[in-house]
Amino acid sequence: MTTQSIETIGEVGIKQNKFNLLVWISERGVFVFTALLILFGVFFVNGFASVINITDVFYRAAPIGIVAVGMTFVVISANYLDLSVVAQVATAAVILIGVSNDYGLPLAFAVALFVAVLYGVVNGVAVGVFKANAVIVTLSTTFIGLGILRWLSGGSIFFGPEDGPVRAFGQAKIGSVPLSAIVLILVTAILWFVLTRTNFGFVVRSFGSNKEATRLSGVNTPLVVIGAFVITAISAMLAGFVLAAFSNTAVSTMSDGYDFQALAAIIIGGTSVFGGKGSVLRTLLGVIFVSVLTNILVLSSIGFGLQQMAIGALIVVAVSVDALARKVTKK
Amino acid sequence: MTDTQPMRLGKETVGVVNKLKIGIARRTEGRGVALLIIVIILVAIMEPTTFTAYSVTLGRIALIGLVALGLTAVILMGELDLSVASTLAVAGVIMASAPNIWLGTLAALVAGILIGTINAFFVVYVGINSFIATLGMLFALRGLAFVLSDAKPVRIADIEAGIAFGTALLGPITPRVLIFIVTFIALQIFLSKVRAGREFYAVGGNRQAAFDAGIPVRRRIFTGFMISGFVAALAGVINTLERTAADPTAGSSVLLASFAAAIIGGVVLTGGRGSILGTLIGAFSLGILQVALTFSGVQVDIQDIFIGSILLIAVISDPTQLRVAVTSIRFWFQRREKSQAQT
Repeated sequence: MTTQSIETIGEVGIKQNKFNLLVWISERGVFVFTALLILFGVFFVNGFASVINITDVFYRAAPIGIVAVGMTFVVISANYLDLSVVAQVATAAVILIGVSNDYGLPLAFAVALFVAVLYGVVNGVAVGVFKANAVIVTLSTTFIGLGILRWLSGGSIFFGPEDGPVRAFGQAKIGSVPLSAIVLILVTAILWFVLTRTNFGFVVRSFGSNKEATRLSGVNTPLVVIGAFVITAISAMLAGFVLAAFSNTAVSTMSDGYDFQALAAIIIGGTSVFGGKGSVLRTLLGVIFVSVLTNILVLSSIGFGLQQMAIGALIVVAVSVDALARKVTKK
Repeated sequence: MTDTQPMRLGKETVGVVNKLKIGIARRTEGRGVALLIIVIILVAIMEPTTFTAYSVTLGRIALIGLVALGLTAVILMGELDLSVASTLAVAGVIMASAPNIWLGTLAALVAGILIGTINAFFVVYVGINSFIATLGMLFALRGLAFVLSDAKPVRIADIEAGIAFGTALLGPITPRVLIFIVTFIALQIFLSKVRAGREFYAVGGNRQAAFDAGIPVRRRIFTGFMISGFVAALAGVINTLERTAADPTAGSSVLLASFAAAIIGGVVLTGGRGSILGTLIGAFSLGILQVALTFSGVQVDIQDIFIGSILLIAVISDPTQLRVAVTSIRFWFQRREKSQAQT
């Protein structure tokens, strides 16, 4: 760990004299690939360039996107990822529909927010204070969270009322852009501001590039990690609300696969899993890439297994490009 | 009359008690042993059928433990192999799709080694963190299992052989338990008596020092990932034979349980410390706990909560990390008191 942090120091001041393909791909590749993918979809995939399909892409991209922009904080702070977003999204969705059916919306929001902060603090304390491995910690909190959710909800599906505010929110559109996509853009804007324009955002990035130097400069580093995990948890909660509103139902299995789709979006966007480097806006671009890719695969009637293989391979390839480009710039 | 004793640096290190103290301080299995004792006492009081039906319990321990044994080899080097869960599923599907059991077993085991090699390639030559590389492989291979099996359970060709495989050879020793014991002994000998295996500890303890000492670090990492891939594939083959069918979704619960077994058993995630014996202790405590919970009619969801909590506690109570955390918390309080005293 320490060796890696040392390696990344020198990168800041390096001047890139020679053109290198790998470095170029890891820096700018996502713009080109997203454009190419959309062009490919428009010209070669039947039914891609229709208003209905684009709206559908927006609907599906919104919850994943909100999770991904939030999780960018954890990735930038060099804590790999938060696997427990799967449990967080499902919990928020079930709480929104289940609690609001019986006790009204304000209480549902309060309970969901409490649970989200609890997730963030538990993950953050285990990783930040006890210096435990983030992958293992969030793996265990995923199982604990989903276990509690299934146990309390009995694994049943919750339906919202047909004329409730949740349903109205899920159906609302401005033109052909659903309201949930607007929420995604709002969350991205807020988190962009937090990451680039606030003290906390600066500390998160500096912690990601060099933990020890950040600690020695007098920053309360455990608090930074807890903050990153809480931001992820609150974003996952919003994603759960959006997801529940979209279908007006909630069930404990509805967010399966969100962990790696979000991770794929973050990495493809160009945020480095080695920490310190990345941005929320790039993640948004990565979300567009992953959503469009999934949409094209679905439209070409390619099965679930191949989709999963494609995204898994994409993660490995994207990280490989980043790692190799890092080796090149170091020389 | 003056003191004629030779000067000693540090504490007295003679005497049986002191030697025992040092021996215990060096070991990392403490938490595993504690959990095992607690579990055995609680289960003996609450659900003694767990021990009378010991064949069921042994089978469960072998199920959790086998994958964990392979993982131990990787974790000892400070790496992580998350792809074992999907390797298990892929190996099962390959095994079941083959026309002949022996051919299928061979193909599945080769696939396991191949997956391990691919993981190691990304870790060693590309330089990706093993957490992320094997996470990508976890998703990609789960997809592969779905593609190969057409997203449906696959029945094995020779069902008779599967049934024969599930029956006990001697007392409670089914072939699964036998394979588990053999794997345990083989890895125990490899990691404690064979030079290559002992070098795993050096690679995990301090990679640069190991490299400078002339240990082929890259080759050792390849060996480690191949072992974990092979053992995971072996577990997949055994599962498939016992159930006479391969399930492409298999292995997602194995991931949690096998990591929990290794980490409770004191295998330190940063590498270099831990033992196969510890993993065995971890597997025993988890296996007994799971069977006892099942026997007393506890839902699977609550079992997940139990094991997840145990893993969370185990990973934050890692001896070295705990010391750091306690020191920093104490320091924080001291600083606060000091600043309050000033104002």
